[in-house]
Amino acid sequence: MEGKEKEQRKHQQKHSGPKAERKKLKKQGPTTEEDARKRNPKAFAVQSAVRMAKTFHRSQDIKTKKHHIPMVDRTPLEPPPVVIVVMGPPKVGKSTLIRCLIKNFTRQKLGDIVGPVTIVSGKKRRLTFMECNNDINTMIDLAKVADLVLMLIDASFGFEMETFEFLNICQVHGFPRIMGVLTHLDSFKNNKVLRKTKKNLKHRFWTEVYQGAKLFYLSGMVYGEYQTQEVKNLGRFISVMKFRPLVWQTSHPYVLADRMEDLTDPETVRKDPKCDRTVSLYGYLRGTYLKNKGQVHIPGVGDFQVADVNFLPDPCALPAAQKKRALNEKERLLYAPMAGVGGVVYDKDAVYIDLPASHVHQQQEEVRPTTELVQSLIDTHSTLDAKMAASKVSLFSGSANLVPSDFGEGSGEKGGPQEESVWDPNTQRERRKVVFAEEDKDKEEEEDGDDDDDDDDDDDEEEESGSSDDEEGDNEDSDQEEEDEKEDKDKDNLSKFLKVARAKSDVTLEPSAPPVKKQKVENKNKEQQEQSGELPAFADSEDELEVSEEEKESGEEAGRAGDSGHCSEEDEEDGEEESEDESMEEDAADATMKSGSEEEEEEEEELGALKWKDGLQQKASEAFLRQQAAIPNLRKLVYGSVVAADDSEEEEEELGGLFRVSRPQKSKRFRADAVDCSRFTPDSAHNWDLEEMLNSIRDCFVTGKWEEGQDAATLLKEDEELYGDFEDLETGQIHKTKPGDQAEDNENDEDDDDEKEESLVKVDEDVTLKTKRLEKKQRLKERFDTEYDDGDATYFDDLKEELQKQAELNRAEFQDVDDETRVQYEGFRPGMYVRIEIPSLPCEFVTNFDPHYPIILGGLASAEGNVGYLQMRLKKHRWYNRILKTRDPLILSLGWRRFQTIPLYHIEDHNGRHRLLKYTPQHMHCGASIWGPVTPQGTGFLALQTVAGIKANFRIAATGVVLDLDKSVTVVKKLKLIGYPYKIFKNTSFIKGMFNTVLEVAKFEGASIRTVSGVRGQIKKALSTPAGAYRATFEDRLLMSDVVFLRSWFPVTVPQLYNPVTSLLLPVSQKDGWAGMRTLGQLKHDLGIRNKPNTDSLYKPVVRAPRHFNRLHIPKELQKALPFKSKLKQQQPKGKTPRDLQRPTVIREPHEKKVAALLNALSQVHHHKRKKAHTAQHAKHKEFLQEKGKQEEAKLKRQKEARKKLYKTMGQTDQKNQRSSLKGGPKDD
Amino acid sequence: MASHGLDYDGCNFFRQRLVLSTLSGKRVRIKNIRSKDDNPGLRDFEASFIRLLDKVTNGSRIEINQTGTVLFYQPGLLYGGSVEHECNTQRSIGYYLEALLMLAPFMKTSLKATLKGVTNDHIDPTVDVLKSTALPLMKQFGIDGEGFDLKVVKRGMAPGGGGEVVFICPTRRTMRPVQLTDPGKIKRIRGVAYSVRVSPQMANRLVDTARGVLNKFIPDIYIYTDHMKGANSGKSPGYGLTLVAETMNGSFLSAEMSSTPQGQGDPMLPEDLGKNCAQMLLEEVYRGGCVDSSNQSLALLLMTLGQQDVSKVLLGPLSPHTIEFLRHIRDFFQIMFKIHVQKPSEDERKGGDKVLMTCVGVGYSNINKTLK
Repeated sequence: MEGKEKEQRKHQQKHSGPKAERKKLKKQGPTTEEDARKRNPKAFAVQSAVRMAKTFHRSQDIKTKKHHIPMVDRTPLEPPPVVIVVMGPPKVGKSTLIRCLIKNFTRQKLGDIVGPVTIVSGKKRRLTFMECNNDINTMIDLAKVADLVLMLIDASFGFEMETFEFLNICQVHGFPRIMGVLTHLDSFKNNKVLRKTKKNLKHRFWTEVYQGAKLFYLSGMVYGEYQTQEVKNLGRFISVMKFRPLVWQTSHPYVLADRMEDLTDPETVRKDPKCDRTVSLYGYLRGTYLKNKGQVHIPGVGDFQVADVNFLPDPCALPAAQKKRALNEKERLLYAPMAGVGGVVYDKDAVYIDLPASHVHQQQEEVRPTTELVQSLIDTHSTLDAKMAASKVSLFSGSANLVPSDFGEGSGEKGGPQEESVWDPNTQRERRKVVFAEEDKDKEEEEDGDDDDDDDDDDDEEEESGSSDDEEGDNEDSDQEEEDEKEDKDKDNLSKFLKVARAKSDVTLEPSAPPVKKQKVENKNKEQQEQSGELPAFADSEDELEVSEEEKESGEEAGRAGDSGHCSEEDEEDGEEESEDESMEEDAADATMKSGSEEEEEEEEELGALKWKDGLQQKASEAFLRQQAAIPNLRKLVYGSVVAADDSEEEEEELGGLFRVSRPQKSKRFRADAVDCSRFTPDSAHNWDLEEMLNSIRDCFVTGKWEEGQDAATLLKEDEELYGDFEDLETGQIHKTKPGDQAEDNENDEDDDDEKEESLVKVDEDVTLKTKRLEKKQRLKERFDTEYDDGDATYFDDLKEELQKQAELNRAEFQDVDDETRVQYEGFRPGMYVRIEIPSLPCEFVTNFDPHYPIILGGLASAEGNVGYLQMRLKKHRWYNRILKTRDPLILSLGWRRFQTIPLYHIEDHNGRHRLLKYTPQHMHCGASIWGPVTPQGTGFLALQTVAGIKANFRIAATGVVLDLDKSVTVVKKLKLIGYPYKIFKNTSFIKGMFNTVLEVAKFEGASIRTVSGVRGQIKKALSTPAGAYRATFEDRLLMSDVVFLRSWFPVTVPQLYNPVTSLLLPVSQKDGWAGMRTLGQLKHDLGIRNKPNTDSLYKPVVRAPRHFNRLHIPKELQKALPFKSKLKQQQPKGKTPRDLQRPTVIREPHEKKVAALLNALSQVHHHKRKKAHTAQHAKHKEFLQEKGKQEEAKLKRQKEARKKLYKTMGQTDQKNQRSSLKGGPKDD
Repeated sequence: MASHGLDYDGCNFFRQRLVLSTLSGKRVRIKNIRSKDDNPGLRDFEASFIRLLDKVTNGSRIEINQTGTVLFYQPGLLYGGSVEHECNTQRSIGYYLEALLMLAPFMKTSLKATLKGVTNDHIDPTVDVLKSTALPLMKQFGIDGEGFDLKVVKRGMAPGGGGEVVFICPTRRTMRPVQLTDPGKIKRIRGVAYSVRVSPQMANRLVDTARGVLNKFIPDIYIYTDHMKGANSGKSPGYGLTLVAETMNGSFLSAEMSSTPQGQGDPMLPEDLGKNCAQMLLEEVYRGGCVDSSNQSLALLLMTLGQQDVSKVLLGPLSPHTIEFLRHIRDFFQIMFKIHVQKPSEDERKGGDKVLMTCVGVGYSNINKTLK
């Protein structure tokens, strides 16, 4: 049957006939609507003005609803990686999905996903994946930083509470993009059930997110991975997705740290393992500009002051050239320091990397992606160490020579690979390579050895051996090229002498192998080192020392030179400014010192040169000149030469710990107590009686000379050009513009009007004319545009345009400033890879560090570090099954923070009073006042009762928004004071018991009072005795039994509890077990305390005594009067039967007795007979009935058979008839 | 928990520090206030200023040591509302008003401040100048609306005082970024010649001489004479002149002078005063820029507190007060301005060097304002 499926008839399109014609008409196009209008004008006429107005209104409403408030587009040119949070209940396939996506984008397999993983997914996009576990703390933190959430749902199970909780968290903290992903779809055997489940889940998801939200289906696993095509599609979706800016995220800088280093001195840690740690955290900066020395909040840890922020080269940079279509292998970078990829072991204070030995020979240019990753890691690490080294140098400036070497040794000991060279497409490749320590080589060798085991690496080795020669050649070339590039790009503004030195080094290097290569070889074995003896042994630590020493000198010299130069500059300044300059000088000197040390640092990295020693003087002076050029004078005057003012001060203070450098600060003293006035006294040098002085400001007035473009003459001319030509319609006269202009216009057409040609200024000025004409055209066009668009332009359009302009300006303003200075002006911009150093973190942060939990550094705005009272609007979540009680501690997630606090719930009365509530209303908003961190109004928050474990079935207790910040609270609760009258004179009463002293009464004089019965009155005056009694008048006379009460409002204070949830400090496996202050109920429950209840309120067993009723007694008189019916009857005693009613007993004769006995016997016999006959009869009848039944049955059977036969024959005849008719039919036709 | 504070030495730039501290929420400790002076500690006018600050804020903590040489200030929230303050007569109302101008847009409720004291003296910018220059400047930043006004109810000259000023300012949540790079040409000059408790003729004499100087440049000059009598004339005699030049692009440059206070120094002829004042206006024009030299810091502050957008303003040479203010802004808000000196070209006759100040706002939003 199944095999023989009938072929369906195909649809045949009509090619003729009315239907086809109609279709043709439809196809022909848009004229139909117009036709309809023409054909049936009545149908399109205005039927009802009201309805028309309504429809118009509605359409306009819909249009306006689509508008969002335009915002200035502040996305940086190179945006930070998109944060993709992958969340879902356990065992739903989160890690698998991340792994698959990473494999899809980078062709690399990642073992276990720990911490954020950053990859380059496209030419302009990078992604950071972060897995979200099911701890509610993590969910909250990640919802705040997510750009996109991949919400994994186990389709075989359905939605789980985590999903909804996460959705609710997202709603509160700004809704990031959310994409659902259904997994475990292969567990459905039945196709129909699968489809139905998909549909159900989709619709539920839509109601939660928005109608039409994207839900992805991952249909099944192939060898433990999702299907490639599906993952690819998902990846495509992700890489084209657009993100809406979220208010909190765009107004705060934040970093999702992907690397953590403990910088604490090991010695202090050894002495006191619990000492506060200095930690540096790394990550991409997102959100907005981060200012140095700002405050950050680390959710789960607390608020911290940032000690230092630096930006580092991007470890996962976007490809430089944008022209290519797709990324090549090299550009598919992956960066996940916490994940321990490719032999990277994450330790608490260092990253150890195993690189196989074969890598020693490998070319840096042709590393495989994995090694790239590793190297990018190393790269950043080396910068850190360089920084550390620098800091040490600055500390012990006297013994600067020692430190770098120490450092070198130290680095060799612990963070071996830190110094390793790094493949970096950017400028600083060479430098890094040179800072190699020998340890690294060993490590690398090891790693290479390991790699040898791998199959892939053999190829690499071959490649490498083959191409090593080429590389040398390449490197030479590329070196120079890079040098050139550096000159443009170099962020640190390398001094000229450095460049010279580098050039020289290049010269020396050129004949030999490239430095990198050399280095490695050198370090690997001694022979090769000797081989490269021609090279300056710059990797040698001693040489390094020399270098640094010399650098130091040069730096100092430069500083001194700067000073002198500054002094000379100073002469030009005013006397007032001079004094300031003097104070600034020191700063300048320090700053130059610092810059010197920075240069030294660079040099350490560079280390390409030895011969730069000669001509130091000249170089120093060059450096000075460069600095002079770089920093404008006014800026120096205002801010000092570099931002290191603070540091210099510190140095002054702390020199040697004991001693202080006292420096004369006359100028500062003088300034300290001067008159505070904003008026700017005029310059006495200007004598305004002189004509030349007057002339010097002539053009500031409208009467002066105007600029070319704005001159009245040119403007007039323009107007004429525009409006000069016109035709008088009445007279038919045509007015023309001046011939000169006409000619200009016509020149285009190359008219040969000679007369007009003559009037042209000159033929030579053709070019200028052309440009002028172009300009004019542009102007005309602009004017036309503005006029034309004016009609349509709405406020919205204007606003958008304005913001667009602002955005362009924002981008353009600091574009050409180098990063180092730019950072000072606008702060660190989002997209930069930054290193943030935070001192005094609790040691638990380091000891209990678990990279599975996100570390977020949320920047705080200026006032957000303070604590105060917050008034918020709050609503209990409709899925939370209990109401919340005032003064029960509650955990809020507000801004970046999670903290426990004690809220007071209140509601606003009609007169604006905030009345305290004992419990939150069930389905209504109420106010809540808390003591907590100052957060801008309009920020959403969510409340939890506990963050430990999963006890409640839905954990989010309430949501709300901050309304107001204040330093005082206005919540009041009702207080009724009760008093009793003790003397009453008409409407006046004396009342006691309400107050205790006269003073209290005095405070309430004039207050309105009331009695329970509703008589209103007023407090008049206190009485001397008894204390606290007063005279009051009422609208009516009171009774002594009346109770008088005064309704008053008592201000309530909000308890000042602010307890940050320090979940990140908990031991590794207990991070989801944070327990803060318990509620009173919990405490009592835990301690087994029970309130002693009021005995009256207790339930007692109900004892019911049997009810005893007295006899009903009816008076005799009444009884007599009653009718007979109602008279009591039973109560009449039963008397003896009277004699007349008594009957005599009958005594039979013996004969009579016999007769009676006989009769009795006879009747007995008769009775028996009758009974017997009856039973016989009954049996007989039964038999008869049986017989009859049988007969009936037989009869029915017979009938049935007969009928059957009949129908059969009937049917046969019918069939016969039919057949005959069928046969007969065609014959007849 | 509370954000760390800042330490300063000496009483100079006292207002800047307190104002910036209030706006940024950072506490501040000022030490060695006139510690070497014969009369150490805070002066009366400074105390009065602190009291005013206390009135407009809620929950601020102010601690002063016994000698008054150390001040600790932990700012509260700016509350606003109706405030009445008796300003100390050692300094004029301008001293207090300058700070209020900076704070007023960031209050919880709109501010209505009634300040009593000296309206005009020769140290601080007078209320007339602030009214005619600072208010239009603030309007550029989007602070505008119902009743944004500064009214001189009574005029009180220097030593005695007795003047009264009402300042009403609406609140704003955010500041608008500005691009004030072209001041435009001066189209008119206006002014007020005021006199109290002296002959009304004084004002006319001021006007005549001032016009004499300015007429060389522009004919559109109108100087109002303002002679207050009776209860409105304060306690001391005096007179003075305020001149304001308005440009095509709506920026205002001002100059002012007032007579030496009664019993202090040599009296000045109104003719001299008028001429000097006019020449001061010329000096101000020579300095140029889009903002008056006494309002530079106000403009810079409002730029700093703007959205995270680029703001630009062209100023004349920076006054010492402004330079210090820039440093303070860096301390409190970590904002540095890009300072670019614009030298006038050869053939231009537009006065001296200008300074183009550029900055990115901190993204400040008024955290005091209630959300409804």
